[in-house]
Formats: sequence, structure tokens, C-alpha cells
Amino acid sequence: MNKERIALIRKIVVYTLYICLIPSFQVSFPESISLYGQTADLMLVFTVLVSYMFGFADGAVIGIIIGIFRDCFSPPLIQLNSESAPVTAFGIGILIMFLASVCGSSFFTVRMKRNTAFAFASVAFATLMYKILGHLIIMGWIALFAHQGYGLSFKQIVLGSVLPQLLLNLIVTVPLILLLMFLGPYKKGKNPKISDERSSEDVSWLSI
Amino acid sequence: MRRLLTSKWFIVLMAVLIMLAAIVIGALPGSPLNKAFKSLGNITSPIQGFVKGAGNMVSDYWSAVTDGIAIRKENEEMKAEIARLQYQITQNEEAKIRYEELKDAFHIRDTFSNYDIFGASVLSREADEWFSVIRIGLGLSDGITIEEGGSYAVVDVRMNLIGRVIEIDDGESKVLPLLHEGFNVSGKVNEVNGATMMISGDAGLKRSGLCRVTGIDENVKLEYGTQIVTSGDGGLFPQGIPIGIIESVDYSDPMGVTATLRPYGDIGELNDVFVMVPFEVPDDVSDEPLASQVEEQ
Repeated sequence: MNKERIALIRKIVVYTLYICLIPSFQVSFPESISLYGQTADLMLVFTVLVSYMFGFADGAVIGIIIGIFRDCFSPPLIQLNSESAPVTAFGIGILIMFLASVCGSSFFTVRMKRNTAFAFASVAFATLMYKILGHLIIMGWIALFAHQGYGLSFKQIVLGSVLPQLLLNLIVTVPLILLLMFLGPYKKGKNPKISDERSSEDVSWLSI
Repeated sequence: MRRLLTSKWFIVLMAVLIMLAAIVIGALPGSPLNKAFKSLGNITSPIQGFVKGAGNMVSDYWSAVTDGIAIRKENEEMKAEIARLQYQITQNEEAKIRYEELKDAFHIRDTFSNYDIFGASVLSREADEWFSVIRIGLGLSDGITIEEGGSYAVVDVRMNLIGRVIEIDDGESKVLPLLHEGFNVSGKVNEVNGATMMISGDAGLKRSGLCRVTGIDENVKLEYGTQIVTSGDGGLFPQGIPIGIIESVDYSDPMGVTATLRPYGDIGELNDVFVMVPFEVPDDVSDEPLASQVEEQ
């Protein structure tokens, strides 16, 4: 078996394992990764990290598959108005995880040479975007369709939702980075297909 | 043109548009896309079941190692408790015979006697504050079905309200938890002819494990600890299921008295729940609670 095939098999096996484990763990044992009513979003962090470290192609595929798991395991509910029954919406998880992969692969990557320290910045950015846009969309949805006020004040959103989620996501970033670097889909934690962008410039001051 | 088609942002834009279209089409009632999405659950559920089982096994093993001494002590206490309960059972058997005689004499029916109770394990909990539907291991294959717009009450082992079933698939059901902002149930003070009110999930109170209570008459005196049960209004839930206790009341606006309620049950702590499925009863037999029927008698 040539090296390329071995590398491909490793990539498929490792990604499959993580795709099965991470969403399942998040919905099976959320109490072990929760703080102040928020649960660490392992799926989001994993997707962002894969995109950040291994590029858009990997991130998009992983994001879509993890999004399917997210929708199957714990779909969101949408309600057209206060009188109608809420229904589960399939596809929102896929869209969010795909956008997370776009976010992870587009910011702090090439310029920062996919420096590990900036992976935290990437996770923080994706988390903030997810939470802020999520609250804004739900606020708009409720105002438009249900004609009601949003139940959360600005202080509650910041202190009770955004900040705990940000903290938790940054905490779980550490083990996930270590897993992807040392037990990840690529040897030495680097995707050879995107290594060119690293070697093109001398930016050793940025690397850990 | 080729450059445009291979551009990352063009691909992203196209993918997002396709996904948005799929979400809208999938949300339409009876959409084949929705059925296709649901069938994906048949692939993902066993994976999650395996991971959960493995996690529980590790957790059980760890507990067995660390809790050995405590379990032994508890076991001794349980044996003493069993002996005491055995004695109580013999006493209660006599009381039960007497109760059955009275029940027949007064034509009293048990509060939930026209409901089948199905036990189910909690398969998965909420992924985050928005992906918050809970799955339980009870589905069409267990012989329960649900009509459009219908719903079944989900209770814990003490018959406390936990949520309601909103969808039933082959081997699992989706449950809307009591604390979810989409949840509404009509409740009443747990006494004969108790005042009715509306209990709803609230995004702001969810994190504190509380529900919002509205529709309270200004003359009704609610205080901390007042017990609230389902009123039976609306027909979705039977009357008399315990919901929770009043935590605080705000009388500042007489036209809009509101309160907060702390539910008895917490789905985050549970591994097993029970679904109450009504079965067909003759029209002349109504589902009145024990207390009110005794009063009528």
C-alpha cells in the first residue's frame, strides 16, 4: 500500500471516529460540559478547528456531516406564531456547521499561517458570531411571526448566554486542538495540501 | 466563468442557498425531504446509542470502584428499609381492599385510569440553548401514534410533568421540555376548584430552571410554595398532573399578575420518563379527578 492510500485511510478513520464521538458525547452527557445553563459546543468548536487547521474542504465536509448529526440528535424548534404548534426544523444545524467551517477557514488562517494560538481567536470569533446572530435572528423571528417581545434582556444575553458559551468553548478548544494535532487525521497535525501557503512566506515569529 | 464557478465564496453562496431552500421545503408538512431527513436518524441513533452505552459503562465502572463502601452501607440501610416496607405492605393490603370496596360503591375512577403509561429512556438531551429537543426511546414500533396537532404528556416516575411529545418516529419520539419557550400548559392551584392559570417556558427564566405563570386573576392569592397541577383545559393533558410550586409572584400590575414556577421534574436529571397515552373511553365516562368526583358524590 502506498503512502497516499495509508494517509487517506487514516484521514477517513480518524474523522469518522471523531464525527461519531463528538456529537454523541455532547447530547448524551451535556451535564459534564455545562456551566450556568450553557453547554460547551463541541460540534461547533471541532468544525471550526478542523477548518482552521486543515482547510476549507475538510472543514466543509466535516461541518455538513456534524450538522446532520446535530439535527438528528437535537433539532431546533420553529414556531410560526404564538398559536401554532412548534415543529422541528431539519437543516438548520447543517447550515450553521457549514457556516462555522467557512468562518474557521476564512479568518486568522493564511495571514496568521494557521498558527495554533490563533485557533482560539477563530473559535472565539465563530462562537461570538453564532451566539450574537442567533439571538438577533430569534429576536427578529419572534417579533415578526409571534408579535412578542424577546424574553431576554441585553444583560441576560451577554452574561447568561454569550460569555458562558464563549468561556466553555475556549476551554474545550484546548483538548480538541491537542487531539487534532497529535491524534488527528494528518501526520504531524498538518494537511500537506495546504502546507504550501505556510512555506510561501517566512513568518516564523508567528509559530509556536 | 470557470474562475467564478471554482471560487470558494461562490461555492459557499450556492451551498447556503441550497441549504436554505432545503430547510424551507423540509419544514412544509408532508414534505418528502423531511421524511428523507428523518430516515437519517436511523443511521445516527445507533451510533449515539453505542457512545452513550459505552459512556455509561465507563461511568458505572468508575462508580463501582469509587462508591463500593458507600453502596455497602446503603445496602444495609436498604435491607432495613425493605423489612419496614414489607410490614407496611401487609398493612396496606388491608387498606387497599377497603379502598376498592369504596371505589366500587362510589363509582370512583383512578385519576389517570384511562391512560396507558409507556416507559422510555432519555436518548439525548439538548445540544445547546437553541437545539433543545429531547429524544426518548419510544416510537411507532412500540405501538403509539400521534395525530397532527396532538400531544402526549411526559412525566417522571413521580408523575411530575416533564414535557410533551411533539413527534413520533419509528423507534423514538421528540419531546418538548417544560422549560422550553415553546411550551404552554394550562394549570391550576392544587385544590378543589383551584384558580386556573397559564404556565409557559421563558427564555429568560430557563437558565434558572423556572417557568413563567400568566393569566392569574388579581383576586387569587398565590404565595411561595403554592402547588400547581395541570387543569385539564385544552384536552392535551389530563387534569391533576403535578407541575411545580410557585417561586415568586408579581402583583405590581393588577391586570397582568405574573409569577414564576419551579417545576418538580428536571429532565436533565432523568434517565427514564413515562408517556401518558389516552385510550378510547366511552363518551359517558369523563376524566374527572378523584377529588372533584368525591365532592360531587
